[in-house]
Amino acid sequence: MTTATEPITEYRSWAVEEFRAEEEPYYVPVSDEVEVFEAAWNNKIPVLLKGPTGCGKTRFVEYMAYHLNRPLAVVRDGKAEVESESNLPLVTVACHEDLTASDLVGRYLLEGNETVWIDGPLTRAVKAGAICYLDEVVEARKDTTVLIHPLTDHRRILPVEKKSQLLQARDGFLLVISFNPGYQSALKDLKQSTRQRFVAVEFDYPPRETEAEIVQHEAECSYEVALNLAKMAEKIRNLREHGLAEGASTRLLIYAGRMIAAGVSPRRACQVSIVWPLTDDGEVQRSIEEVVSSIFED
Amino acid sequence: MTAQLVEEAREGLRQFPPALGQEFETALEAALPVLEPDELDQWLRDGLDIARHSLRSWEAASEYFRASGPVLEQITYDRMREWCAVGIDLMETSPALSGALFRASPAVLPHLSVSQANDWSAQGKSLYKGTWKSGSLSAQYFDVSPQILPHLPLSQMRLLVDLIDSLASHSYELASACLGMAPGVLSQLDRTDRAPFLEFGGIVAHTAWVDARVYFERGPGALRQVSEDQRPRYLSLAGQVAMQVGRLGHPYFIEAAQALSEVDKDIHEGLLELSEQLAGHSGDAAMEFIKSSPRVAQRLGIDDIARWQEFGLNILQQSRDGGEAFFRLESARGEEVMEALSSRVDLDRVSELIRMYCKALTGVDVGVKASEELTAKGVGWVDESSPTTEGTTIYLPENVERYPTKDENFAVYKVFATHQAGRLEFGSFEYQSAINPELFPADQNGTRNGHGNGVAPAVVEGEEGEIHTDMELFFDQFDDRRLAHDLFTIVEDTRIDTIVKREYAGVRRAFSRLQQAAIERRRPVEDMPARQAMVENLLRASLDEIGRIRWPGELAEEMRAPLRILNRIRSEGATVQDSAAATALLYEWLSQIPNVELDTEDWSDFEQEMSGDPDSGEDSDMMPGSGSSGLEESFMPFMPGSEERPYDSPDPVDFRGDFKPELVQLLMKLKGETGSGDAPPIPLSKEQLQELLEKSVEISINELMDMDLAESSGMFLDNLLKEVNQIQGERQEGQQAMGDDSTGADDGEELPVEAASFYYDEWDFRAADYKPRWCRVQEQRGESGTSNYYTETLHEHTQLVQETRKQFEMLRPEMFRKMKRLTDGEDYDLDAVIEWYTEKIAGATSETKLFYRRNKVDRDVAVAFLLDVSASTDEEIQKHHDQRQDDQFDDDPRKYLSWWAQRRAEAARHPGKRIIDLEKEATVLLIEALETIGDKYGVYGFSGYGRDNVEFFVYKDMDEPFNDKIKERIDKIAPVRSTRMGPAIRHCIWKLQNTDAKVKILMLLSDGRPQDHGYGRDRTEKEYAIHDTKMALTEARREGMVPFALTVDRAGHDYLKQMCQDMAYEVVADIESLPRRLPALYRRLTG
Repeated sequence: MTTATEPITEYRSWAVEEFRAEEEPYYVPVSDEVEVFEAAWNNKIPVLLKGPTGCGKTRFVEYMAYHLNRPLAVVRDGKAEVESESNLPLVTVACHEDLTASDLVGRYLLEGNETVWIDGPLTRAVKAGAICYLDEVVEARKDTTVLIHPLTDHRRILPVEKKSQLLQARDGFLLVISFNPGYQSALKDLKQSTRQRFVAVEFDYPPRETEAEIVQHEAECSYEVALNLAKMAEKIRNLREHGLAEGASTRLLIYAGRMIAAGVSPRRACQVSIVWPLTDDGEVQRSIEEVVSSIFED
Repeated sequence: MTAQLVEEAREGLRQFPPALGQEFETALEAALPVLEPDELDQWLRDGLDIARHSLRSWEAASEYFRASGPVLEQITYDRMREWCAVGIDLMETSPALSGALFRASPAVLPHLSVSQANDWSAQGKSLYKGTWKSGSLSAQYFDVSPQILPHLPLSQMRLLVDLIDSLASHSYELASACLGMAPGVLSQLDRTDRAPFLEFGGIVAHTAWVDARVYFERGPGALRQVSEDQRPRYLSLAGQVAMQVGRLGHPYFIEAAQALSEVDKDIHEGLLELSEQLAGHSGDAAMEFIKSSPRVAQRLGIDDIARWQEFGLNILQQSRDGGEAFFRLESARGEEVMEALSSRVDLDRVSELIRMYCKALTGVDVGVKASEELTAKGVGWVDESSPTTEGTTIYLPENVERYPTKDENFAVYKVFATHQAGRLEFGSFEYQSAINPELFPADQNGTRNGHGNGVAPAVVEGEEGEIHTDMELFFDQFDDRRLAHDLFTIVEDTRIDTIVKREYAGVRRAFSRLQQAAIERRRPVEDMPARQAMVENLLRASLDEIGRIRWPGELAEEMRAPLRILNRIRSEGATVQDSAAATALLYEWLSQIPNVELDTEDWSDFEQEMSGDPDSGEDSDMMPGSGSSGLEESFMPFMPGSEERPYDSPDPVDFRGDFKPELVQLLMKLKGETGSGDAPPIPLSKEQLQELLEKSVEISINELMDMDLAESSGMFLDNLLKEVNQIQGERQEGQQAMGDDSTGADDGEELPVEAASFYYDEWDFRAADYKPRWCRVQEQRGESGTSNYYTETLHEHTQLVQETRKQFEMLRPEMFRKMKRLTDGEDYDLDAVIEWYTEKIAGATSETKLFYRRNKVDRDVAVAFLLDVSASTDEEIQKHHDQRQDDQFDDDPRKYLSWWAQRRAEAARHPGKRIIDLEKEATVLLIEALETIGDKYGVYGFSGYGRDNVEFFVYKDMDEPFNDKIKERIDKIAPVRSTRMGPAIRHCIWKLQNTDAKVKILMLLSDGRPQDHGYGRDRTEKEYAIHDTKMALTEARREGMVPFALTVDRAGHDYLKQMCQDMAYEVVADIESLPRRLPALYRRLTG
């Protein structure tokens, strides 16, 4: 369907299962999580990433996908071509409360006079042998667990109900799910029957110096600013469960760092990218602002 | 001739009672020598004329004669005749008055000129209305005139007479009493105040005559409370107000004067001027303004008061009520404006903020309280105004008003708090003897007295149970504990300040400002003996002010070494261990400095060459030991008498506050907080404590109280043990409560008969802090009755039940209804596909929206429904009587009787409904509705008495299925006792927290304001309970729940507005509509 005068696109697009990082994603290992993940992947054990929001779970998966090499086979026009040894494709699905099984597996669509089956992202990942990363999986509707269970045990099978098919996952396929035990209520938890199919890697905010390093790199600000941001985050996280549902995430620190690097005054930058996103409670806001103003001279 | 005249007169007088004759004789004796014969003649004639005038006029004549002698001593006969003519004129009105006039004359004459006689008489006469009572009042006027006139010129006497006259029109007794009091009252007043006093009195007599006596009794006293030069002004203001407010005028006068006595006299003038401006608009406001002034003046200076008043005046002009409430300090606006204008920062306003700030910095749960609270405990801290900490709580002064703006004053708080938090964060209390300092390694610092590197000897856990804190053992090494402690304080504070400034660059400026201010206040070093001066200089150095060090130039070297030691503590990575080591080194040095007056003129600013690099200077310099055979020798030339002076500690530095590491470690140890977490608290005998105390220099018991040492230290010990026990007690209770929680959460099983206990904090808005574990909530199942009630209620409201059910069913389909005609969805919608296909075959182009999707799987709502079952719900509801009914009987008694009988029978069948009945009905209807819709819900009731006994009834728990048991319990919902809402709400929050739902609603149905024993300062105080309830509701919201308050109290608006602020609430004005209203509301909330 390409025409002769194809407009110059300013965006790039991939098929879901073909997306792979071209540059190495920036990730600073905090502990042995890289080794653990690699071992799990080698042994086809699905991985559960636990940790607060914005502490680097997604980035970690990207990083791992980049580093886990395998011969890359691209399915094109029904023929498998071995292109080169390359990193793993990564299919990321952000789960939300209306996400259903058919959103993951696929559905029939009308096209002209016929119906066309479109694979969902999970199916594509299974076929392509990609890492499928279901972010915040507890948010998804309960029927998705029906899909997850057979995929995560020894069978590695994806039932495609509408087509009455079973798909055996290709080598390299790995299901990775993440969830944040903090901000859901204790009851909105993963069911034991689901949890116990994964090895779990716990994430927390990195230690001050590491976090400063990350912020400096990502925000392209000075190390001094980054260190101050990290220090501040450490202080703010002390307020978790005391007015704050969650501490300031590394992601927010990076935003703040970028704002500062872009010339916004540090106190203001922290206010807009940390204090206000974190909470609406006026008193808590002021407390955090006092912490900010203690750390940053303006 | 003369004798004959006299004889004739005697003759004439004989027809009168002999008393007159006697008076005549006495008078004659005085008159004869001074009167010319013709004057005598005239005098006798006048006397006789008076006597003969009318029936009882001889009495007046008697007074005339009696007065004559004394009068003639003062004035000539001619003048006397003029004077007496006035009296004689008065005969026409009443001889008794005339007599009174003559009687008073001798004493009055010194104060009046003869020409004023007429006026004087006329005033008295004006009181006479021809009645006996008025006559006696008028006579009283003449009688008291001699005592009044010394205080009051005749012209002003008019004011008094008018006042008395006005009173007399109401009560002669009162008028007479006041007139009698007048001389005494007037004599108490300053000359200039008397007329204004009477003028205001006149207004009082006019507007509130019954208050007149009180005014005379208490007025002068009240007035004395007002600044002398402002009293007339105050009186005229009070008068102006009284004209407007009538009866309230006098109470205002008294109360406002009382209020003025509580403020500085210098601002009375300003206050009165401001009040006068208000008086033009509202007398109430003017007086309320003055009454509030003591509280306002605490916060604001007079200039700001004027701004505050101006703000209030604006409100007053728009709304009288609003303005008056503003000045009565009963409006949030008034407080806000005051707060905004005041530069003072009050701890109770910022404590929560500072608490979170400190928690953020330290990462531990610190409390923030007023220093007073710590000193009140009597456990060793005595200074009420300085910041400090005892390891778990940071104590700060109650308010800060040091600088002209709020921000600056808050910055002071922040510095205080940051320094104290720094002690906790950077481990000032974590000294452990077993750890070696890193900056001051043991091997570098040769040890002379065995305490060279600050490492205390290994802990000897000597006898059984004997404990020592490491800090104590450290100080034990030094002979002079006070010096050691002072040095440690300086070193450690230096360390903390340095780290704080390094870590928290943002507070640097405020820090430096306070350091600067602290240094300005230091006493001059030059007056101090040598050792003390050196300690003082170290302290100055610790405040980053090398330039302020003063020291004799010849001895510069001796000062340099200790400064170097102190400076080293500023290195990065310094710990409290290093501080201890530095202390030991400094002690070593300083203990060799004789504490003598230095005889030198050579005090000069100390040149500091090494401020930059703390590591410069060789280590060998740090010790006094090597080589220098003795510091004393260097000092020899400057020691005149070499008389050793006792050592005094340096003045404390305000922003650093009290530092008591030894005591903190002791407290921590006693509380069992140090060492391995689970170690049981170590019991300590009184004797051991006593011993500890005797050693400790920090606890200067003498400061505690003026008692003998044994007594006060005994008291101190008691307090300390009490404090520790209290904490341990709380902890044990806490464990118990945790146990209870687990049983409470047990589902399925019936609850045990005895209530499960839960503990909750209560919000004290005055302290701006929670009272920890203040309330005990006793959870219990509601009693069971029969399920008939439920069925009957449904039957009674069949119509309504059906309606409600229908409405709720309308909510329901949404969750299952497919959203059709989508381009993408879960599956094809068959209808759409067929339609599309037909159209396609027919050749029409149509949209390919063929999918459906079920958007919402669950309606995920949980509601905790909290019923107020306090005693007040027992009240019957006032039915609206239809007056017209009574008129329909046309005075036919039979008709009326039959109607009445019918009504009684009706009443017997349906007794008047109580609030609780309607609550129950509403509950039944809501349950029906909720069952239709399938939401999770719990029905609870609360009541109780006192904080230990908040009863919490479970009628249906969140996870209980609805069945007959629930119906039976609803039957037994009955009024119990008081209304302590806070803990009940908090318990509900807990229930909801343990329930899984996206939307959580907490619905509170009450019949009045929260109220309970001890829920506020006294039974009548409403503020406290409302604040606590508000806080509980806010907590619910912070937990992501939707609190909703519903009341059937018509007066509910005033407190609900305050309680709920931006939360939703509703006042159900027509209580009988509650069963209908409640489900409707719920629908609206969740729909």
